[in-house]
Amino acid sequence: MADTAGGNAPKPSSSVKLVLLGEAAVGKSSLVMRFVNNDFQENKEPTIGAAFLTQRTQLPHRTIKFEIWDTAGQERFASLAPMYYRNAQAALVVYDLTKASSLTKAQHWVAELQRQASPGIVIALVGNKFDLVSPEGSAAAGGASLDDESEEGNNDANAEDEDAEDSDARKIPTAKAAAYAAEESLLFYETSAKTGMNVQEVFTAIANAIPEASLKGPRGSGGAVGGSTNLGGGQNTENSGRVNLTGASGAIGGKDGCAC
Amino acid sequence: MFNLSSLVQKAQQFIEPNLVNTGLLSDGRPSKAALFRHQFCLPDSQNPLQEITAELTLPFHHSVKGSDSDSGPKYVGKLHLSEQFLCFSTQASSFLSTASTSSSSSFTGQTHGTGPAGNGFTLPLCGIRRVERQNTPTFHFALVITTTNGFGDSTTAPANSPPQKLKIELAGSRQQCEKFCDGLKRGLREAIKEAGNLRKVIAECYSEYHLASEVAQKEKEAPDTGLGSVFRYPGDSRKLRDKAKMRLWKEYMRENGGNVTLVRQPTFHKLIRVGLPNRLRGETWELTSGSLFLRLQNPELYTDTLSKFSGQESLAIDEIEKDLNRSLPEYPGFQSEEGIGRLRRVLTAYSWIDPDVGYCQAMNIVVAALLIYMSESQAFYLLSVLCDRLLPGYYSTTMYGTLLDQKVFESLVEKTMPILWEHLVKSDVQLSVVSLPWFLSLYINSMPLIFAFRVLDCFFLEGPKVLFQIGLAILRINGEELLDATDDGTFISVLKSYFSRLDESAHPKSENPKLRAVTRFQELMVVAFKEFAGITQETISNQRAKHKDAVLDNIENFAKRTSIRNLGPDSKRLSVNDLGFLYDRFYGVLYERQTRMEMLQQEADRKAKATSARANETVTGIAGNSGVAMGRVGLGPSPTQMDYDAFREFLAGIAKWAVTDSPSSPHRESHDKPSYFNGSVRSRSVSLSPWGSGPEPADHEFMQRLFRRWDKDMNSVLSLQNVVSGLAGVKGSSDIMSNISYFFELYDDDGDGRVDREGILRISEALLFLSRRGMSDVLSPNASTTDFSQSLNGSTDGRRENRDEQFLSSISAFIRRCFEYADPDHASNREGKSDANSVHDSAKAFDAFSIGGDEDDEDLLDLDDKPKSPATPTNTSPPPDLDATPKPNNQTPSRTNAKSANLALDPANPLHLTLPTFRMLILADEQLETFFDTAFANSFRLSDAPVPSSASASSNLTTFSNLSGGRSSSVSAAPVPGAGGVVAPGKGIRGMLDNIVSDGMRVAAEVRRRMDEAQRELEAGGGGAGGVHGQGEEEDEHEELEHDDARSTYARSVREGDRDLLDGAETADVQVQQGESKGVNLMDQPVVEGISGAVGLKVGDESRGRERTGSDASKIVEFER
Repeated sequence: MADTAGGNAPKPSSSVKLVLLGEAAVGKSSLVMRFVNNDFQENKEPTIGAAFLTQRTQLPHRTIKFEIWDTAGQERFASLAPMYYRNAQAALVVYDLTKASSLTKAQHWVAELQRQASPGIVIALVGNKFDLVSPEGSAAAGGASLDDESEEGNNDANAEDEDAEDSDARKIPTAKAAAYAAEESLLFYETSAKTGMNVQEVFTAIANAIPEASLKGPRGSGGAVGGSTNLGGGQNTENSGRVNLTGASGAIGGKDGCAC
Repeated sequence: MFNLSSLVQKAQQFIEPNLVNTGLLSDGRPSKAALFRHQFCLPDSQNPLQEITAELTLPFHHSVKGSDSDSGPKYVGKLHLSEQFLCFSTQASSFLSTASTSSSSSFTGQTHGTGPAGNGFTLPLCGIRRVERQNTPTFHFALVITTTNGFGDSTTAPANSPPQKLKIELAGSRQQCEKFCDGLKRGLREAIKEAGNLRKVIAECYSEYHLASEVAQKEKEAPDTGLGSVFRYPGDSRKLRDKAKMRLWKEYMRENGGNVTLVRQPTFHKLIRVGLPNRLRGETWELTSGSLFLRLQNPELYTDTLSKFSGQESLAIDEIEKDLNRSLPEYPGFQSEEGIGRLRRVLTAYSWIDPDVGYCQAMNIVVAALLIYMSESQAFYLLSVLCDRLLPGYYSTTMYGTLLDQKVFESLVEKTMPILWEHLVKSDVQLSVVSLPWFLSLYINSMPLIFAFRVLDCFFLEGPKVLFQIGLAILRINGEELLDATDDGTFISVLKSYFSRLDESAHPKSENPKLRAVTRFQELMVVAFKEFAGITQETISNQRAKHKDAVLDNIENFAKRTSIRNLGPDSKRLSVNDLGFLYDRFYGVLYERQTRMEMLQQEADRKAKATSARANETVTGIAGNSGVAMGRVGLGPSPTQMDYDAFREFLAGIAKWAVTDSPSSPHRESHDKPSYFNGSVRSRSVSLSPWGSGPEPADHEFMQRLFRRWDKDMNSVLSLQNVVSGLAGVKGSSDIMSNISYFFELYDDDGDGRVDREGILRISEALLFLSRRGMSDVLSPNASTTDFSQSLNGSTDGRRENRDEQFLSSISAFIRRCFEYADPDHASNREGKSDANSVHDSAKAFDAFSIGGDEDDEDLLDLDDKPKSPATPTNTSPPPDLDATPKPNNQTPSRTNAKSANLALDPANPLHLTLPTFRMLILADEQLETFFDTAFANSFRLSDAPVPSSASASSNLTTFSNLSGGRSSSVSAAPVPGAGGVVAPGKGIRGMLDNIVSDGMRVAAEVRRRMDEAQRELEAGGGGAGGVHGQGEEEDEHEELEHDDARSTYARSVREGDRDLLDGAETADVQVQQGESKGVNLMDQPVVEGISGAVGLKVGDESRGRERTGSDASKIVEFER
């Protein structure tokens, strides 16, 4: 029954599990808050364990519903992280542009994800708090994407110029993080949850980077009322992802209409 | 083997960490003393001294109009006496050494809402004003205890309340009674000293103020009852019936005493269940959790800690600062500097007294909540009780307690709600993602604050089981909706919306107005405490025991994975298996050493203990948990760096040449390493070997050099990263040239590319040292199949021996050639006599020596003993200050006559060896070439090597992976990937080589003798090392090893047995529990039942007994329903 609801939605919809990782107080929750509510709170309660939020992103040919797991950043919560990045299709690894140690921690998370998370997970490296390093906040940094190496190169060049002008607050040069991201094939952005800079862009880029094949309907769809139970692990290998483009696969993202 | 027993002990401590401290018997079960403290929430310094069955008779009061008008209620129970407390409980637990386990832990079972201490009192002896003996016809002994209640300073004395008198009739033989009274007398005498503390402590209790007359109230300032008194308490106090509650409490306390002198009667527990009034909440939390007693013992700890560490910085403080502005930010008190300041001070002070915990996010939220109702110092002590006893391990650096309790919670859900559980599994919803914050922050940021505080009221009284009961009830109540949720998101939103509607009616459509008035929160409480009454502290403990290994393994695997991944670039040169093995071995050694030290420490403590140590404990108030959280990596902070001794032990586990030839020769130990044992260990005359069950490591100059080489940070300790980088340097390259350079650099002390005469001799010594157990098993291709322990014990076959001899001869030749090809020292550019000449002479002399007869070997010795250049290190000095140690300017040059025989060794003709020469010399010899090509690297056995423990039971070199039982270890028995390019068995013509071989042996013997002599000389100044001893001792060692292993198997089986026992108990428990909850319809009936039973006060009681408070009281009860 849920499946029919997709009929109202013009575009196929898929849900994507996304997890945020990074050192404490780098602004993970604030990024999510900006993305989900377009809001910014100066004193946000620290996340205990993890917070869960959802938000939709519209792509030209489909809708992505992000199921966002926002994790606690304090070092000792690290051992809880596997609980949250389990089955994640995307990850946002966040560091603080004004704190050198936070990039190291981010790199540890990237390594952890590459080894332990689902294969094919899309990882975006995000340097947050751009507002603190760039008073005018005008310069657009980041935006490099996986499939556009040349653009990334340009960014690097720009970044170097910026670095020279940046106030002392910046502790991590754009070039350094960008180089690392390129090496590890990560999406890379510098953002500001406070001003909203690049926040939407990060999520859109992630949505675009998720391989079609790994997209599926909202997790567990159809299970609502005695729904089919064949939705287990087999779905990962399901080939129907391609069909999404044709619009014939409303069934896959179908339940979405219900869930909201 | 004591490692093992201590491990079992650790595990046990983990199961019930609140019963730890001194509280463990040798069999690993919590001691009766620990159980006693646990039941009455007493500080760790208390022990059960006396106990006796008794009947408590309370004075008659207006409010209790019983049929018996002469006396008030009576309670039968046990009266206990500890050093500073007199406790009475209707939960009749016995802590006599003869008592059975079940009778001493009976309080962990069902307590029917009273908490472990039941009805009764927990009276500090200093709170007793007077004890009179009364004659009664029926009992031998009756005591009337007058408490200090009502005897404060006269201004605050309650207007018209009589002094509180408790009548206790002791049931026992005259002898027992007298013994008890004697104990009590002694205690009372001691307690006089504490009276001052008591006054200080209760001055902070609102009850004192509350009970005081109005006149007195005007004169005094009300005690601090938290931020709420300034910024308002959460919730609408009218709706919460706060005033009525206060009146009820006032009445209760007037009759039953306030704070420390309070007598717990059923009404007390009911008053807590209906929710505490704002101003008494903090004080009651303090009382029921026992933190009041901690404060009583050391009232100044909070302020002292703050002033002691004032101005200091720490990581915890940085973390705290980050969160100060985000702790209950919506509460006005925490938008003010005042509130933030209090929060900062409490968290900071706690991070100092418990550095192992430091600060964990979620503590800020919990403490912020506490601060609304209590003063800073009250919150400080309560936080300490939370971390130590109520939420064990929750906030530790690994958060093992949190993870463990999540597992426990999951298993309880599985058992009590199998259908829901199955659904969760099927739809791949992870329960802990929702339940973890419930436990970690005590529901404070899950539920609306007013309800979270109601949960806390019960939690502090009844203990951790409340968290589980509430959690289960939440799931039960939302069961149907949750069964429809098929993903995390829906699951979470169902619960979120439930929490937001807790104040709504649970039965909005009901015809019955009473039923309609029941809120969802009340329903929750009823379901939690009625339907899940079977969840007891015992259930929780059993479940914790069952899951703890798995949880710890998980954490440790995660830590290991993370740690290995972050080891840096050098680690890439070793295989993942090797890294895993190194990790296990590294932390294994550290853990074992730490455990051993603790054992030694404990033994010493036991001897020195008696009174002084106890006094200490009392002073800190928050006793001895420091050592407890250590140990397994998963439990929290553990050492991460190894000193030289640990390094030796580490090496002994991976390289057999690092195992000593002369095990357990105590005199040598004591002299050799004062710097590492601090001398103190030795002075304790320990019967335990300082090396535990593993082989005793050797101490050789080569190991010292290796240690220093690996110690890149020059701080005389190695981190795992140092060790990995170091080993990567040795094993990571397959290039013989770099191996040779590596070895050469070890001996090139000043880094000038030359090794002098002394160095040459040392290199030779090192080669002998490394090969003294024979190199054949690493040299030969079938090395992998050689049993390590076998070769360790010198059981050799002819072929191997043969090869060993070849190697010896190679070394012998090497020494000779070294001097032959060494370059004369240009620095000391000597003239005349021509360098060439002397070199030539020396070569000759060596030749003569090596083939020569008996007379000559003495020459070498003599010459070695010549004074060396002061810059050269000596082999006997300990590593950290090796270069600085003054050289023993050895032996009297008595045998100068032999000098001429060996010019090469004449110190007047300095020589040095350069790297190219060294290389040439090595490559010139097939054996040495092989040694540097593969054998040296292979002598370090990592995961790929056959590790003895995995194969044979006769050796326990890798004790750690053995010992830790369930611990995963990446030890694999995969064979060595063949030591390539190995020497062919070749010339077996023994006779021809005999000469050379014996030379080699002799060189070895002489070198060692020389060491001995040097050491003996050192011994005069306090140092000495034993030489190589015979086969006999090695056999001893072997026997000992076997012995140990037998014992470890035994201990393991014991542990296994324990677990079975626990499992058994657990199953029984759950059966009972299921039986109870079966057939209970969760919505309607139990609620009605609960109104009269669990939640409210009985209506009957009400109408009869509430004249004083009149209609107010009835209203409040109705409301609470």
